[in-house]
Amino acid sequence: MAEIKWEKEMDAALARAKTEKKPILLDFFNPH
Amino acid sequence: MGAVTYPDAKVAEFVNNKMIPIRLLSDAQPYAKDFNIKWTPSIITLDESGTEHHRVVGFLPPEEFIPTMMLGIAKVNFDLDRFKEALADLEKIIAKYPKSKATPEAIYLRGVSGYKSTHDPKTLKAAYEKLHAEYPDSEWAARALPYRLLP
Repeated sequence: MAEIKWEKEMDAALARAKTEKKPILLDFFNPH
Repeated sequence: MGAVTYPDAKVAEFVNNKMIPIRLLSDAQPYAKDFNIKWTPSIITLDESGTEHHRVVGFLPPEEFIPTMMLGIAKVNFDLDRFKEALADLEKIIAKYPKSKATPEAIYLRGVSGYKSTHDPKTLKAAYEKLHAEYPDSEWAARALPYRLLP
């Protein structure tokens, strides 16, 4: 099954974005 | 989004290959305040330094998600004056997703990106003509209306 590999920490996402030269998809969600 | 769109195989492949995905709770601080989150889902495209370039509030079905995210990526490149990259992104949206709600804006932005990179006003007029012919009821056809007067 396909699965998006979500980051959970902004610092980690920013570090990957700089290294991999990709934009960030930031999803704010409400689980309820 | 978590039940329908994100499990979609094409969506997951696109996101994993083209973007760095991060999910935060809608009250996660300081980010919820920094990004002024008032409703969910709020789906935001950021550049590598964390600056916002595109935002969608509300559900996106799988068939709209990919072209909408491609538009977000194109806007990152456009805003950072990377017009060659922006044009490549926009061409893909227009060619692959002609029925997407993101496509009229992509056509408009292609015209602007072309003008910004060449200073040729024909790109703006071409945007108007395509929008007028194929998407006459879109807001982007209205926004391009002044370009009909260009030579």
